[in-house]
Amino acid sequence: MIRYVVRRLLYLIPLFVGILIIVFVASRIAGDPVRLMTVQNPQIGEDSKQNLREYYGLDKPLYYQFFLFMAQLFQGNLGNSYAIRGGIAVTELIGDYAWLTFELQLAALFLSLLIAIPIGIISAKKQYSKLDISVTTTSLLGTCIPVFYMGIVAIIIFAYFLGWFPASGAHSLLAERYPFGSDILDGLWHLALPTAVLTFASLAPTVLLVRSSMLEVLRQDYILAARASGLSERNVLYKHALRNALIPVVTYVGLYFGGMLAGAPVTETVFNWPGVGRLFVEATTKLDFPVIMGITVFIAIMTLIANLVTDITYGYIDPRIRLE
Amino acid sequence: MKRNKATKLGSESQKEKTRSKGVSQWNIAWRRFKKNKAALAGALIIGFVIFLAAFDSLIAPYPPNDIPGFIIGETRVPPSLKYLFGTDYVGHDVFSQVVYGAKSALYVGFGSAAIAMSLAVLVGLVSGYYGGIIDNILMRITEIFLVIPFLLILLVFLRVITAVVPSGVGGLSMVMIMIGIFSWAPNARIIRGEVLRVKESEFIEASKALGASKRRIIFRHVFPNVLHIIIVLTTLMIATAILVEAAVSFLGFGDAASITWGQQLQLANEAVKEAWWEGVFPGLFITLLVLGFNLVGNGLRDALDPRLRE
Repeated sequence: MIRYVVRRLLYLIPLFVGILIIVFVASRIAGDPVRLMTVQNPQIGEDSKQNLREYYGLDKPLYYQFFLFMAQLFQGNLGNSYAIRGGIAVTELIGDYAWLTFELQLAALFLSLLIAIPIGIISAKKQYSKLDISVTTTSLLGTCIPVFYMGIVAIIIFAYFLGWFPASGAHSLLAERYPFGSDILDGLWHLALPTAVLTFASLAPTVLLVRSSMLEVLRQDYILAARASGLSERNVLYKHALRNALIPVVTYVGLYFGGMLAGAPVTETVFNWPGVGRLFVEATTKLDFPVIMGITVFIAIMTLIANLVTDITYGYIDPRIRLE
Repeated sequence: MKRNKATKLGSESQKEKTRSKGVSQWNIAWRRFKKNKAALAGALIIGFVIFLAAFDSLIAPYPPNDIPGFIIGETRVPPSLKYLFGTDYVGHDVFSQVVYGAKSALYVGFGSAAIAMSLAVLVGLVSGYYGGIIDNILMRITEIFLVIPFLLILLVFLRVITAVVPSGVGGLSMVMIMIGIFSWAPNARIIRGEVLRVKESEFIEASKALGASKRRIIFRHVFPNVLHIIIVLTTLMIATAILVEAAVSFLGFGDAASITWGQQLQLANEAVKEAWWEGVFPGLFITLLVLGFNLVGNGLRDALDPRLRE
């Protein structure tokens, strides 16, 4: 088991560096950030621009820039932003926004699992019943609706027509608007709609997965054997079937957790949610290299950790994998 | 037996009557598919969108990117007889724009899926069949593409490409190619799994015993049997590609000169308060088209599954 973990860990390091290289090279091909920064100010002469470039180290050869980046990375320094919040340190910038992204994504993940697993099980148990059909239809539809469309429709209905929830942002600007004057409640009030949308978007594929996995397991011989040996239906379902059915779900959730950060840009843009996703969109548009690389490092680490944890859990649950 | 003309003719026509057409697997699958109402509905939806795309200039009441509402001050007008889906903040007729967007959606969907699946099939087949070091190397490469945060990399690359390549169809093609290049990995793994499964079959063993070359076995024996899953994966891939293109355009990284539904949603995001019709209709069409491909994909999966008996 330990050897398996160490093997996976060692393997992830070159993967990490590979991702960094790809993003690094790609972003620099996109163009010159100094030109973008100064496009609105024609008075800045070419030599000033050149000075800027030297200051940021952009005139050095690419591999040199990359080594510099990696060296700084090991010291925990991600550099300073070019164009966001006046050159703030990237680590501080990400730190400000990271928690909000986590808040949203974790809430949605937790809720969607909480709802999806029971529904999936019941749906599988009562296959072809009216409940099952409506669940599968709704879930199928849920996988087809783009998340941002769901967000837009939700905002139209719940924020504008009904006025129950705020349309954007994570906090009210004025303290007077806090519901019941509470800061925490205000946060939750703003969190509600984005979480609901994201939960539903994640629910749909998860329900389908749990259901199909459960159906597959219930067809197995050992379930029949368990029933024949007189175990109660509840015992059979929850103790024997569920454990096996959850294996692919665990894999899926693990990878989803890693990919959740990658998918954040879209939801956060719709709700104007101040998170890392929205920050990434802004940074990429402005070719703000330090922020782009900083967020990539952050997300790459999260993704790789998620993959590692998934592999370990999977290896733990299913002994066949360990021996590969 | 009396051998005269009459008997001979009789026996010949009898022979013809009893010589029946074999029922191939494709026939069985087609019959099963036809029975699946959801799948048929999906096919209908796809057909409808293709129809829209093919005859877009005939169906849309206004030319592409035309702003009929601008001069007469009819911007942000709700749906009416004159503007079926209303107008947006500039004055475009939303209905016309949606119709013109159909072609882009189909183009990116089919194109990305073609690229992604070609790569996936190649890698999956070769990796699964040859095994050994080739399998190892290819699987490592696949894992890299699997682990990379998809949207992130896509956004960065698109920012690069659309800044460098001229807009118009060229820009949209670039979006399509980019999506295709980064989407092949999961399907490659699935196809490889199927190839491994088929490899254990007895008829493959028989082919090998008869001395068929590895290349021949791959293309003439393994491939047709993995074809089922390839067809299903391709259809589902088209659905995914359409969703990804919509998301990317929504964030503003698509091709600004083409008309796509995702882009319409991007412009509509600001208008949500005043003009719900700006965003609701394009999004509806995205959902419908994706639903169509998903239904057909699932229908194909059920129809082509060799394990189900009639």
